[in-house]
Parts: sequence; C-alpha cells; structure tokens
Amino acid sequence: MSSNEDQIMEKEETGNTKKPGYSAKDYKSPLKPIWCPGCGDFAVLNALQQSFAKLRLPRHKVAVISGIGCSSRIPGYLSTYGFNSLHGRAIPLAIGVKLANPDNTVVVAGGDGDLFSIGAGHMPHVARKNINLTVLAMDNRIYGLTKGQMSPTTPLDTYTSTTAYGSYDPPVNMVKYVLAYGAGFVARAFSGNLPLLTSLIMQGIEYKGFAFIQVLSPCVTYRGKAEYDSIRENSEVLPDTYDPTDHKSACEIGDIEDKQYLGLIYRNDNLIPYEDRIIEMRKHAQKGKVIPVGELINLYRT
Amino acid sequence: MGYEFIEGNEAIARGAMRAGCDFFASYPITPASSILHYMNDFVPEAGGLVIQAEDEIASLGFCIAAAMAGRKVLTSTSGPGMSLYSENIGLAIMGETPLVIVNIQRQGPATGSATKGAEGDIQFTRWVTSGGLPIIALSPATVEEAYELTFIAFNFAEKYRTPLFLLTSKDLGVTKDSANLDLVKLPPRFDRKKLPPGQKEYLPHYFEKPEDVPLISDFGGDYIARYTTSMHDKAGYLTANPAVIQEMIDHLTAKIESAIDDITLVKEDFQEGADTLVVSYGVISRSAAVAIEEARAKGRKISSLVLQTLWPVPEKAIRDAMKGIKKVVVPEMNMGQYLIEIEKLAPPDAKVIGVCKMNTTLVTPGEIIEKGGLL
Repeated sequence: MSSNEDQIMEKEETGNTKKPGYSAKDYKSPLKPIWCPGCGDFAVLNALQQSFAKLRLPRHKVAVISGIGCSSRIPGYLSTYGFNSLHGRAIPLAIGVKLANPDNTVVVAGGDGDLFSIGAGHMPHVARKNINLTVLAMDNRIYGLTKGQMSPTTPLDTYTSTTAYGSYDPPVNMVKYVLAYGAGFVARAFSGNLPLLTSLIMQGIEYKGFAFIQVLSPCVTYRGKAEYDSIRENSEVLPDTYDPTDHKSACEIGDIEDKQYLGLIYRNDNLIPYEDRIIEMRKHAQKGKVIPVGELINLYRT
Repeated sequence: MGYEFIEGNEAIARGAMRAGCDFFASYPITPASSILHYMNDFVPEAGGLVIQAEDEIASLGFCIAAAMAGRKVLTSTSGPGMSLYSENIGLAIMGETPLVIVNIQRQGPATGSATKGAEGDIQFTRWVTSGGLPIIALSPATVEEAYELTFIAFNFAEKYRTPLFLLTSKDLGVTKDSANLDLVKLPPRFDRKKLPPGQKEYLPHYFEKPEDVPLISDFGGDYIARYTTSMHDKAGYLTANPAVIQEMIDHLTAKIESAIDDITLVKEDFQEGADTLVVSYGVISRSAAVAIEEARAKGRKISSLVLQTLWPVPEKAIRDAMKGIKKVVVPEMNMGQYLIEIEKLAPPDAKVIGVCKMNTTLVTPGEIIEKGGLL
C-alpha cells in the first residue's frame, strides 16, 4: 500500500516542479518554537529540516526522538514522526522505533544533561551495539529548562544556580567518551556554522550505523551572549588533510580540550549495523536449530 | 503437546507467543529471567526480536517504542525492576501504548530475601507511577492460567490501548507443574484497531466519549504521529489548557474504569447457606482451595472467590460474593494489601480477617484454617 506521503513524492517527481521532493519548510510543524531568542537550538532545527529535504526523506520515514530539556522540544517543531519522551530516555525509545521498523530514519535529539547525565547509562550500549541511528547531542553546557543549574559539560569554576562558589565537577568530554564506547561515526558541530552542521547531520543520517554528533549549541540566557564568541575563539574546523578513518588521530583530537575541533572526527565504514546482525540471526533461527543426535549425545557426555 | 512438566514462566512465554508477541526486551532478574531465556528461543524463530537491555529503564523504553511502531510486545521483571519501570509505565499510560508487563514477584523491599517468594507488589502495581491513574492487572494461580491470562492480557492491552500487568510470584514462575496447554480454552485473539487508510490525518488520542479507545496508527506507518509525555491534546501536541488537560485525564481514567465488566475475571465457588467467604488470588488461592476442601469435608459451609483480575478492583463480583456473609478471610503473601480493598467493600456486619505473612514461605492451608477460623 502506498501511503499519502509516497504519493506526494511521486507526484512531485513526475510533476513539473523546480525542486523535486520536499523543501525544508515541509518539515515544519504548526508549532512555533518557544526557545529564547538567540538560542543555538534554532540552528539545529534549521539544519535538521534542510538535511531531511536535501536527503529527500519522506516525512513518514523519519522519527525524531527526544527526552526532556530545551533541546528535546524539537520533535514538536517538526512534521515527522516525533516522540518527546522522558528525561534521559530518548535513546531506548529510539532503539525500539528503529528495531521495530528498520526502514525508519531515526534521529535522537537531546541535551548534555539528557544524554550525558541522567541518560548517560544508555550511551555506551547504543554505541557498542552500533544501532543505525543519529544522535544530536545539543550541548549548551548548562541546564536551561530548569533554569541554569550545572550540567555534565559545564566548564570548571563556572558560577551557576547550583554552584555558588564555582563548579568543581570536571566536565564530560563527549567525543572522547563515545570514541571509547566504540562509536563508528563521531563528529563535532557548532550552531554558529550552519553549513557544516547540516553537512554533518546528512552524513550522520547516511552513515550505516551509530552516528554521534556533538553540537555546540549556546544557551544565551544562562551562559550569556559571549558564548558564541567564546566558541568561535576556541574552536577550529578540522583541516582537509585530516583523516577521519584513523582511530588514533580521532582519539588525539578527542583528547584536546582547550581547542574544540569541528567536523567529522571519526568514521569507520567497516562496522556491521545491529539490524543487519539481527536479520542474519533471525534467518538462522527460522531455519530451525536441529542438532544431530551424535552431537546431542556428546553434549550430555561433557 | 499433551501434558508437560513446565514452569509458570514458560507458560507465560508461550501464552505471549500464542497472542502473536513479536518483540521482547528485558533485563536479567531472578525469578523472571527464564522468561527472557524462553523468549530468546521462541521469538526469533517466529521472526520477531528479543533484546537484552542494559537495564530495566532501557528494556521498557525499547518495548514502548516498538509497541508504538506496531509490534506486539512483552517484557518481564521482578520487584526491583518494577521500581525502575515506574517512569516508563507513566509514559506508556500517557502514550496509550499497548504492551504486557509481567512481574514475577519476589520478597522485598529492595533486594529482599533474594530471591524467595512473596506477593508484596499488589498495591505497588496499582500506584506504580506518578499521577495515580487506573491500570489493569491480572493474576494467575496455575501454570495453565499463566498461559491463559498472558494471552488475555495481550487482548486487553490491545483492546484498551494500555499497559497491562500480569502479576504472579516466584512460586508460580519458577515452579514446574504438570499442565496441558492444549486444553486451555482461549478467547479469540484481539489486535489493536488501526486507523483505516485514506483519512485526512491521525489524531493519536482521538475520542468522542471519554471512555472511547483511540484508533492507533503505527510509528513508521501511513500517518505522521507524535507523542509526548507532557499533557497533550487529541493531536498529541503539548497543551497547558486546564480544560483540555482534564478532558484527557478523564479519558485515561474512563477508558479503564468503564471496561470493568469486560475485564473482570473471577472464579466463583459458592456454597448454599455459607456464612464464610474466602477471597484469594494468585498462588495462595491454591492453598485456600485445599483449606476450603478440608473445612467442607468436616461439614463447614464455605464459599470461595478467586480473583484473576486484581485491578481495577472487581467490586461488583466481590460485593455479590459477600451477600449474606458474616466472615471474609483473605490470605495473602504480604501484610494485607488486598485486605484493605475487601474491607472497603464488606457488609458492615461482616468480619474481615487477613491471613498475612511475608516471610518467603507460602501461606499454608493449615494457616488459613487456623487464623481464618474455618473450622
């Protein structure tokens, strides 16, 4: 059965339109974002809409799953499948959506608190399992929705509403963590560089496996307007000569904390996605597990 | 298959397969783990998926999303795992997600006397998540009932678009018994009602009357669907409008409460002229049956009501059974959790006696006779 959305695609492809398929605005929902003016998350929303359009993804083949936080409001602003779930639980739900229906393009959007504090326990497992989904870690280095508490990526010595004497928790280095967890696609982007952000999201979606993108997405309300400038000063786009297929170089880039390198940090195309392994296993299971009598007897002997 | 020597957990797994379960996720915990083992054998063979999750929070998360994407889903755990399920159960209620959650109870609180039996999660199941909205819970007493009620739990979950709880204990889950599942009579299988093709849009929480069950459209199916764990309108958009919020709360409540006649499952064994009634559920109903038989053999007139539906409380069935009754005996493997429900419904002149213990051993027929004064 071809769906309404498929018919739209077909019509647009055969029709005499300039742009076949969708445009970015087709992925907008009727809801207006309630983020603060200047929030980095606007750029992520924009980049997502552009990426979906450029990849010509039918809206009914995309599921955007989030947890709770400012960034997690994103599914409500998109006209794809969306699930604004529980704090920290976007990844388990995304896994369920993907495995139940591997045809879906699944994107997880979450903040630093959502993905690396309350939901941090899920990250090693989704990475090592290599489930084919794209995680956007919208890192504003603060808890925004709950009004300015220290987050797992808040830099040391920062004054926040929960660190009256400056924060004393060393921050999480997202890139280093996910590289250690075995992720096959690791990138870092910045809300202030929309073309790079869009390109990385597209690459992440097209990558067959678990793709992780840290997006430096400033919170102007709780970290100040200077955050954009400070990121610009302390970041640099990886040079063309950089080889993202080299895990050692990627780890070295991950180790550097005084400069935030932007771009594709690591990509391994030799990993098998979880879904493919499951399908193989299922074929095997459906053939039946007939054990020859000889082997059975031997099993009982040992 | 004829008669087999199988444990309750296997019967649960087979009941789920019979209901068409094609997605299972769980985290190991005694005494529920063997359901994970059986499903690991059964589900891939049938073309479905089994996942061992990193923790219970993840396992129920996988399950909820898979159910919304069209799968028929089972998960299983025990008390400490139920504690971790709590937040996602709220999500499943909010999302009106059909799935079956099995709790093979063990003695608690916390790690308890790992991993011996008790049925201490009866009220916990009712109030398992914030908000206090009603849930449906069934409780089998035998291996055959474990099979039957798992199948029925799937039917109810699909019919009412809600998480369904199957509550049993270690004593049934991991005790083998002789059973012939072929002889178990099952109702027709019920699958969720889907939004037919060709509609303008999908409203994930659409109802006209509060008790209506909204039609469902699978995630990744024909219609774009969105869900949120925040209060939402019928379209699934977040709302802060008190009138819309109350309407949604009334719907989530009425959907379950108005189903009571359909979901009431009890076994009545009334005796003419009896002034004593034993109300029991779960594995202890088998101790009760022995106690009643013994008392009747000595000439006592005693009626029995065994509850298979625990939540919502089958009030009508309980009230009817208590007509003319002067003494109600409620044996439980906890400190009187269902006793308080019976006390609320008992006639004013009836005495309600709990036979309660939670020391990891079964309530024996002798204890029911003695503490319940059946002789």
